[in-house]
Amino acid sequence: MMPSIARYSNSIMTLLLLAIFVTMIAISSRYPAGARFMTFVVGIPAIALCLLQLVLDARERRLSSKVADHRSDIEKAEEQVARLVGHKVHFDVGHLLLPESDLDPREQVRRELIAWGYFLAFIAGIILFGFHLAVPVFLIAFLRLRAQASWRMTLGLTAIACTVLFVAFEKVLRVSLHTGFITDYFLG
Amino acid sequence: MIEIMFSSLFAMLTSGKIMGLMLIGVLCGLIVGVTPGIGGRLSIALAIPFVFGMEMIPGAVFLLTMHAVNGTSGQISSIMFGVPGDGDDAATTIDGYPMAKKGEAGRALGASVTASGVGGIFGAVVFAVMIPVLEPVVLAFSPAEFFLLALLGITFIAFLAGGGHIFRGIIVGLLGLMLATIGMDPYTGTPRYAGDLLFLWDGLSLVTAVLALFAIPEMIALAVRGGSIAAVSQEAAKFSYRQLFQGVMEVPRHWWLVLRTSAIGAVVGMIPGLGSNTAAWFCYGHAVQSSKTPERFGHGAVEGVIAPECGSNSREGGSLLPTLFFGIPGSSGMAVLMGAFIILGIQPGPTMMTDNLPLVWTLIWALVVGNLIAVFFLLFIMRWAAMLTFVNGAMLVPFIIVLAVVGAYVNEGQWQNLLILVAISVIGYGLLRFNWPRAPFVIGLVLGRISEESLHKALGLWGLEFFLRPLSLVLVALIVATIAFAVYRNLRPPKAPQHLSVAR
Repeated sequence: MMPSIARYSNSIMTLLLLAIFVTMIAISSRYPAGARFMTFVVGIPAIALCLLQLVLDARERRLSSKVADHRSDIEKAEEQVARLVGHKVHFDVGHLLLPESDLDPREQVRRELIAWGYFLAFIAGIILFGFHLAVPVFLIAFLRLRAQASWRMTLGLTAIACTVLFVAFEKVLRVSLHTGFITDYFLG
Repeated sequence: MIEIMFSSLFAMLTSGKIMGLMLIGVLCGLIVGVTPGIGGRLSIALAIPFVFGMEMIPGAVFLLTMHAVNGTSGQISSIMFGVPGDGDDAATTIDGYPMAKKGEAGRALGASVTASGVGGIFGAVVFAVMIPVLEPVVLAFSPAEFFLLALLGITFIAFLAGGGHIFRGIIVGLLGLMLATIGMDPYTGTPRYAGDLLFLWDGLSLVTAVLALFAIPEMIALAVRGGSIAAVSQEAAKFSYRQLFQGVMEVPRHWWLVLRTSAIGAVVGMIPGLGSNTAAWFCYGHAVQSSKTPERFGHGAVEGVIAPECGSNSREGGSLLPTLFFGIPGSSGMAVLMGAFIILGIQPGPTMMTDNLPLVWTLIWALVVGNLIAVFFLLFIMRWAAMLTFVNGAMLVPFIIVLAVVGAYVNEGQWQNLLILVAISVIGYGLLRFNWPRAPFVIGLVLGRISEESLHKALGLWGLEFFLRPLSLVLVALIVATIAFAVYRNLRPPKAPQHLSVAR
């Protein structure tokens, strides 16, 4: 299942954007002529380009199975400069610029889900409990569990960050931060 | 012109607020440049909430100096550890890192920082010289051309950011234009895509969109990737001021190379679509080609450090020219900067020449003074700044996410903007994950309203014949030529890899 998804991954964004354009054009078709003019001028060519891109994606998949470029970044750079100067060149930079070994796709997806989980939980936390509660909880959770910082470092950095943040925005810039629906409900 | 030029400099130097913000901008730019995981575009995106509501000139000076000096400190990790911060720095690594391996890190850093500063100042001078040359061209533009300029801007930036995938870039640019139509239509009073959601009637928040497109996806990617360069010995960060000074003196010693590569960088910057790495690599190639001893390159030749640094920093001045006068950003970093300028109320286009010339001159002086401050400051704090490269990238992630989320909220004080932030972040991460360019989206979004207005005005004045105006024809030809070239590159079968015999 995973390899077949990876094989068609270069079309995922094309399809997503195509869906966005089609939906927006469909919605705007109900607007008066003047209001839908720009959306049609932009959206219809965009849909045509998305369809063309789907064809190019398919072509890319076909070609990439035939020709694969396994060179490191440094070898590509050497070729680029060699072409400019007209003779072979060698860059003595050892192993450090060699590409990192790619993450296993399953591991990549797992890490992405975790990172998105933190981010979405943070946003939900702000909406429900407000910035004053959500920011320190998010910082402590991320620093301790993801960045594996020590408790001392975690609590110290969180305290400094929260103080700077709330002083900068609430006292200096005089911005009132969202207090959260649940917090508001309980505090009246 | 001369009067405006010097009065702008005087006003800037005597304003405590502007100079203070410039110093903060320089400091932030240098820190961001040296810290792993934060790029120039991201730093501008994160700074936008802080300049929101600020006066036009101080805000613009702060953002520009922060952006301009970013590359000056960016090469520290390239030279000391062989780990380039971004594409521009990769060319510096080729000779900088071998120099560091030979125990000449201080000399390489001194040369690169000074070359970078001189390049930045040279770019600003080229920008200044080009103003009277471009004036008649800029003033000849009408609403018809402004609609086409928006399309040309998207096409160029799509070509620049998308490389061989120009259609991807154009699609993303059109998505930006499409999302710019959200909100009250000025001609019919129809709330497009907003329905009863009042917070959308004023349109999509540009600050939220920029943060969602750059800050959140970059941080999610950093969290996924993890790691840092802390594995490299901290002993490598130690060098003497004597070595640094020797490096500084290499720049006047190679003055002719400095002038040539700075000129190349500025010209490359003026041509949107040539790419941010091009200037550095082009200058590096030129240094190798013009050297009497090209065999030294790649093994620690100081000219290999000076040339790309001059080129990549003088490019900033050059790329400001199309950004300010035509609304076509010369690089993806300039695209985000242009979005920030528009938030400050600066409208790129001919009015920059007619009404805002003092602002233009202030920005030119800000480039000059900012680069000078950055060079002296960085030379002084280099030994400590180098330690910043040991910061663990994963530790930065939560702080930048918090800053981005707060920035998205404070811009309009609406919690609903957080939902918009999530939605656009999903699109932004998808674009990043699947190698789609993101800069054209910003251009589409910032130019959306202006291009819609221009299109309506042009159709009202000339009907469809506006396409046949001489300047319009030139712009249409440029758009078609750019797309045709990209299509040719896209459809041409890829070359099989040509391996060089690399002696390792």
